[in-house]
Amino acid sequence: MRREVRVTIGSPADIVEARQHGRELAILAGFSICDSTLITTAISEMSRNILEYANNGEVVISLLKNGIKSGVKIVVSDQGPGIADIPQVMQDGYSSRKGMGIGLPGTKRLMDEFEIRSRIGSGTTVTMKKWNRWKR
Amino acid sequence: MEKVDERYQAALLEYVTAPKEVALLGGYDLGRGALGDGLGVLDMASIHSRAVAAALDRPLDHEERARLLNAQTAFFMEALSPFEMAHRAFRDANTMLRRLNDMLEGQAKRIAYALHSEAGQLLASVHFALAEAGRELPPEKTEQLGKVREVLTEIEERLRNLSHELRPPVLEDLGLSAALALLAQSVYSRFGLPVIVSVSLKGDLPAPIENTIYRVAQEALTNAARHAEADQAEIHLRQVQQKIICSVRDDGVGFDDSAAFKKNRPGLGLTEIKERVGALGGVVRLGPNKNCGTNLTIEIPLDM
Repeated sequence: MRREVRVTIGSPADIVEARQHGRELAILAGFSICDSTLITTAISEMSRNILEYANNGEVVISLLKNGIKSGVKIVVSDQGPGIADIPQVMQDGYSSRKGMGIGLPGTKRLMDEFEIRSRIGSGTTVTMKKWNRWKR
Repeated sequence: MEKVDERYQAALLEYVTAPKEVALLGGYDLGRGALGDGLGVLDMASIHSRAVAAALDRPLDHEERARLLNAQTAFFMEALSPFEMAHRAFRDANTMLRRLNDMLEGQAKRIAYALHSEAGQLLASVHFALAEAGRELPPEKTEQLGKVREVLTEIEERLRNLSHELRPPVLEDLGLSAALALLAQSVYSRFGLPVIVSVSLKGDLPAPIENTIYRVAQEALTNAARHAEADQAEIHLRQVQQKIICSVRDDGVGFDDSAAFKKNRPGLGLTEIKERVGALGGVVRLGPNKNCGTNLTIEIPLDM
């Protein structure tokens, strides 16, 4: 099993592939089935955004290790139009349907670390991490 | 709902037959769509259990059955994952609402202080200046000055009432019971509406709950006095197990629906009540009183 996987996102089938790798790495990092599902959800949401706003991009998923802690890091990037107002898109209900708390703000709540960088005209990169807590 | 049922059954079967990621994504998309369509977690649970029942309702050997039972868990989690996101959003929103509540509470406290203390002192110095001026005026002018003093006294009285309504010092000094009694008294003196207060609590309540109950009682009584043409009102406050229940009843004209209640009291009113109580994890019930009039009941859990 590779410790880093790169998936180009250009069609819904690529989302399936990214999810598949994400799930495998999450389980490898020792995450429970619940947390692995949430990590997969984060990958879905962000890949869906690529298809919707930028047509194509990529997802890089890697294993993290920090002392006894392990986790996964997911970097989702595109060369799309970019986001003009990041605080605005991070508000619930801005782009997701009816303020259900999904989309970008919803994904942030699933992860431990979440960072968006974006430049108008050159694209967006979302970097997110989730750490495996041994016992909750 | 039937459409969702069918699609869910088909997707679950697809996953059981070939446990691939694409089928899980199907489950996730179904859940995401259901959330957007306003379905709840319980709807999902019953859709799922119907799908599992349908999948079991076929001749299955032992191994197939075991595979189905294994696969359905993973599939169900996928379908529920969007709801987990929504649930976390709700929790965050609740925290924010509570913070907003605290902020407004702090604001009200400051305004109450400014009205009570600062404006009060300024008015007192005006009284003093008027008395000074009065000594130097001819007697026919002092009568006019007396009228000014009367108006000034009334202004003081109103500011005191206003500051009281915003943040009664008794709530801090004596607790909720005394504050409610005083509120009842002030409603009677301002509007002529007699209010009976009965309180049965097992101890002091957390400050945010006290504040909310006080404000709700204030809103409901003001509504009863101003709009419902009530002749009498009652406040009942009691603790039942880990719940604080407060009902405010009146015998007024009642209401057509909650929209009418809102229309009569533009701005805050019922919406504010629901937000404040909701921020504490409680519920609001607005219904007709036994005979006529309005019964507004709020329930707030103590263990939030």
